[in-house]
Amino acid sequence: MEKSRRYAKSHEWARLEDDGSVTIGISAYAVEALTDLVFMQLPDVGSTVTAGESFGEIESVKAVSDLYAPISGKVISVNTELPSQLETLNNDPYGSGWIVCIEPVEVEQLDALFDQEAYDKLIGG
Amino acid sequence: MALSRHSSPYSDESQKSGLRVWRDPSAAGGLNMAADEALARRSEETNSVLMRLYGWQPHTVSLGCFQKIADFSKADVLAHWPVVRRPSGGGAIIHGTDITYGLAVPSSHNWSTRTEDLYSAVHSALVQELKNRDLKARMVEVAKKEQEQNFYCFNRRAFGDLVVEHPLASSASGDCKILGSAQRRLSGVVLQHGTLLLNRNPQIQGEGSHPGLGDLIKSEAGSVNDVIEGWLQRLADQLGGEFIQETGLSYIKDNKDIMTRTNRYETAAWLNRR
Repeated sequence: MEKSRRYAKSHEWARLEDDGSVTIGISAYAVEALTDLVFMQLPDVGSTVTAGESFGEIESVKAVSDLYAPISGKVISVNTELPSQLETLNNDPYGSGWIVCIEPVEVEQLDALFDQEAYDKLIGG
Repeated sequence: MALSRHSSPYSDESQKSGLRVWRDPSAAGGLNMAADEALARRSEETNSVLMRLYGWQPHTVSLGCFQKIADFSKADVLAHWPVVRRPSGGGAIIHGTDITYGLAVPSSHNWSTRTEDLYSAVHSALVQELKNRDLKARMVEVAKKEQEQNFYCFNRRAFGDLVVEHPLASSASGDCKILGSAQRRLSGVVLQHGTLLLNRNPQIQGEGSHPGLGDLIKSEAGSVNDVIEGWLQRLADQLGGEFIQETGLSYIKDNKDIMTRTNRYETAAWLNRR
């Protein structure tokens, strides 16, 4: 499977890593739309996430948004520095702004997500 | 807490253009939050823009989704007040002499795309209505960082907040904030909460005390109710649809779904989540 980002309609991205884990974050478009971020609540390592269901929340000055899991799996690492450095999401949403890394239940779920071209079309890019 | 999905009795409603508005009776905090959540799901399922206006009985403090419960406990003036935590963000609001709205916009609608767009649509409609009634109303353009995290919503000044320049203003900003809003953004719908202060609450003194619309508007400029009607009509005009005043309740009273949602908002786990 190609090692590139896939996107959910709800603007989370997922990337398959060499070791079979999947890193999850939110797109630059979503970060920009949320405006000034003030708080983030993340899941615990060891918890399970289900595709399409909330695994965390993020608050901006004017809105609270759920973070939806693009695929199902078990959380194996969490970017614990992120809640205290939310500017990282603005500066590097696809790198150091990653949110969680999961062990996928079924990696093929990535195929149901948008590729870059389709996502760009979705957001009107 | 992600807002839960239940089977809906409204799934046979086809999309209705325009702004459908209910004036629900005053209720306690848990029920009000549950009814807003139900409105959001109904909006998603029917692909319609829905709004409910309501009051609070008993008078209640609502906290923003991630405000610390310890900060509420430290506010001595609020001791013994009922309290509920909202699913939306923002600061603490003392309800009782205000009118609150819940506005649900499905994700297919262009107002739902950007946080600021929906915020601006609702607030600018009221700014225009107030200007038409000789009040110096405007939306805050530049947020004051030092005020953004004040415990009380109406002491904050964030982008889009509706303020009125008036001699009664005692805030550091020199204006009176009378409408503040915040959103809960879900995958299929945006729920925007907002509170319009109607009068100063006589039960509160000090930094939680703020004048409302009724304290600021001249009697010859119309009643508070006239302003609200004009505001909703302008909002419907912006939507490009009809202002539809619905009768009855926006939710089904004693419905199992509503009761389940209400119970969840009344749990200590939800209230003390942070």
